[in-house]
Amino acid sequence: MARPHIEPYVELNDPFRKFDIAGFKGSHYKVLSLDTDTGACTLKVRFDGGYRRKPGLSYSDIEIFVLNGEIRVGKEVWREGHYAMIPAGYALEAISVAQGAEALVMFNDGEPNFEESAESHDLTLRDAFTSLNSYDDRPWAPGNLVTPSVASGCLIKLLRYEPLTEAFSFLYCMTPRFAQDNISYHDSAEESYHIWGTSWMMQFGDLPTGGYFWRPAYINHGSFRCKYGTIAFGRTDSKLHNYFHYNPWTNPKQNLLRAAAQVYRQRPLLYNWTVSDGHNHPHGPPDFQHANYFDNDPHVRDLHGHYHEAGIEHDHDHDHDGAPKARKAGGKAKRKR
Amino acid sequence: MAKRVQDVRPPRKPDAEKWLRENVTEQKKRYAAIVREMDGIEKERQRWYAEFLHIVSTRGWNVNGDQRMVVPVKDLPKRPKGRSKVVF
Ligand SMILES: [Fe+2]
Repeated sequence: MARPHIEPYVELNDPFRKFDIAGFKGSHYKVLSLDTDTGACTLKVRFDGGYRRKPGLSYSDIEIFVLNGEIRVGKEVWREGHYAMIPAGYALEAISVAQGAEALVMFNDGEPNFEESAESHDLTLRDAFTSLNSYDDRPWAPGNLVTPSVASGCLIKLLRYEPLTEAFSFLYCMTPRFAQDNISYHDSAEESYHIWGTSWMMQFGDLPTGGYFWRPAYINHGSFRCKYGTIAFGRTDSKLHNYFHYNPWTNPKQNLLRAAAQVYRQRPLLYNWTVSDGHNHPHGPPDFQHANYFDNDPHVRDLHGHYHEAGIEHDHDHDHDGAPKARKAGGKAKRKR
Repeated sequence: MAKRVQDVRPPRKPDAEKWLRENVTEQKKRYAAIVREMDGIEKERQRWYAEFLHIVSTRGWNVNGDQRMVVPVKDLPKRPKGRSKVVF
């Protein structure tokens, strides 16, 4: 099972737990969401004053967003609003925290893990390393980066964009009196943590400061209101497309079929190939430029609900009813080898 | 794309396995609490849905950005039987 639908979750009144895993001793955490299979997770971590760690790496991509305090990383000082993306295998310099700090810490591929090392792993995608202060180093841009777009009054700062999956991480704000009268859903999961402010969605009510959600694909959210302004950190796990509508009672299956119908209308050749006989739908179609991409990638694996190597013959115990299988919201990804 | 670091990850250690198991259990409790809380505001939610549909049929719904479209009352969706579900 992937990460379940966690929405809304307000963490502020829940206690921190002691972090007892190598590399994290001297810190405390709360789980905001957790992939029950891979261990990928979003945590809120409190680094106590005096926390220190030697240089080292993780076998998972990590994203960090500093909420308060100061974290010294090598020669850099990460303060409130600092965002870092540390690719798997990248040896991060020594860390020390003098007075205490809090941060969102996201492990994208597996449970928290750390290995002491002064050298990065040979396979590390070094260019993916990002370290910037989102408050100072990025401008606010209109939210209309995708079409159809959010209403004006929702602005974003793009922090990270993953070119293969089009997953992105961003800061967003809603101006006071922001309103958007539609219901939205996406093909991607969507995640948010409210750094400050309260906003409202018609399904879930108010989400205040410290409010969080991890929302799997195709789940209705909105209409939207924000009375006094909100600033939040957000992410998607793949390309975000806004499917807008006005029926409050549709379920994720209906939403998914509507999304597939849109592919049918807009890219009929690709749609027809994808659903046609002969088992040629994508669970890792060969991509000459990214030959190993399907190997171990949850996005590709989950497209079909199970995993098998592309190009290898296998029996077919699942039906093809004409509609493409897709990631079930919070559903089981059956692995088969 | 070359093989990735994630593909050569060593097996999960016992302390990590324990951490994962404990936190999966905790998350199940949080999920159940969320579902209860969301079920608890169902009446209010149906009122919010009704207000929303009123806006859709008067000022219109946001089709793209600030562009709105009004939907005639006769074309508004009808509430199906049974409980509505918002957490999946
Ligand atoms: Fe959304």
